[in-house]
Amino acid sequence: MVGVLIITHGNLGYELIQSAELIKGRMDGVLAISVDPTKGVEELKKEISSSIKKVNKGKGVLILTDLFGGTPSNLSLSFLKEGKLEVISGVNLPMLLKLPDIREKDLADFAYSVKDYGMKNISLASEILNKKIGKK
Amino acid sequence: MNISLVRIDDRLIHGQILEAWLPFIKASCIVVADDNVANDFFRKSVIRMAVPSDIEVIVNSIEEFIENCSHYEKEGKKTIVLFYDICNALKAYNFGFKFEKLNIGSVQSEKNRKFYSPAVYLCKDDIENLRFLVESGVEVELRCIPRDKPLNFRDVAKKAGLT
Repeated sequence: MVGVLIITHGNLGYELIQSAELIKGRMDGVLAISVDPTKGVEELKKEISSSIKKVNKGKGVLILTDLFGGTPSNLSLSFLKEGKLEVISGVNLPMLLKLPDIREKDLADFAYSVKDYGMKNISLASEILNKKIGKK
Repeated sequence: MNISLVRIDDRLIHGQILEAWLPFIKASCIVVADDNVANDFFRKSVIRMAVPSDIEVIVNSIEEFIENCSHYEKEGKKTIVLFYDICNALKAYNFGFKFEKLNIGSVQSEKNRKFYSPAVYLCKDDIENLRFLVESGVEVELRCIPRDKPLNFRDVAKKAGLT
């Protein structure tokens, strides 16, 4: 099972897990870290590093972050290791809901599926409606 | 002086810069003056990818920055200059980058640090360096994002019993 870490500005990660569990039930092997201005960069790096160890069951770790270019993402990228650790930015609830279904995939496949599912689940209502009734 | 914001931020380019300061200032250029980033291809690439493509990004070592800063000032672009710590900003100041205002965003000095605001922990050297800048006529403010109320360093220092 690939381990998952959600690293975000503030408590977004914890809340995402809570929301996902409301819909899908207990999420195993998923941890959240909140980044706020009171924590120093070195302190955060240590927290991330120990959380990676906690969720890693030998199949690698996927880190989900909220915003590319933000501190959670910048720090996560410094742990990037091909085949061992992947980072996706722009985390959303659909991504989390997908996790339990594909946990046994290898890291590369797993990361790709999560990203794909997260992107597919962003929709603009009027666009869908127009497609359905054949307008452009 | 055309530089719009000179800031100390140990996170350099991050969410607050991209989503708050950049649109607030309507800057068209960001300069990261930092030796570590200048020597790190990966971090440089990530910074370039994170910043919207219509904003110019310049990554300089402190030495390169000192060489180039008068040129950046002359260019007249609204520019944000970022330093990792107070030491680096002071070095640039002493070598000719004479800013009038200094914004302190996030400083988390590790050794013998003291709390000044949730994102600012300063050590003795930091205080001395800031004092020097204030005495040289630089206005020093503590402020994370544009919407925060700026705290003047003099007031903060006075409150902490440092005067």
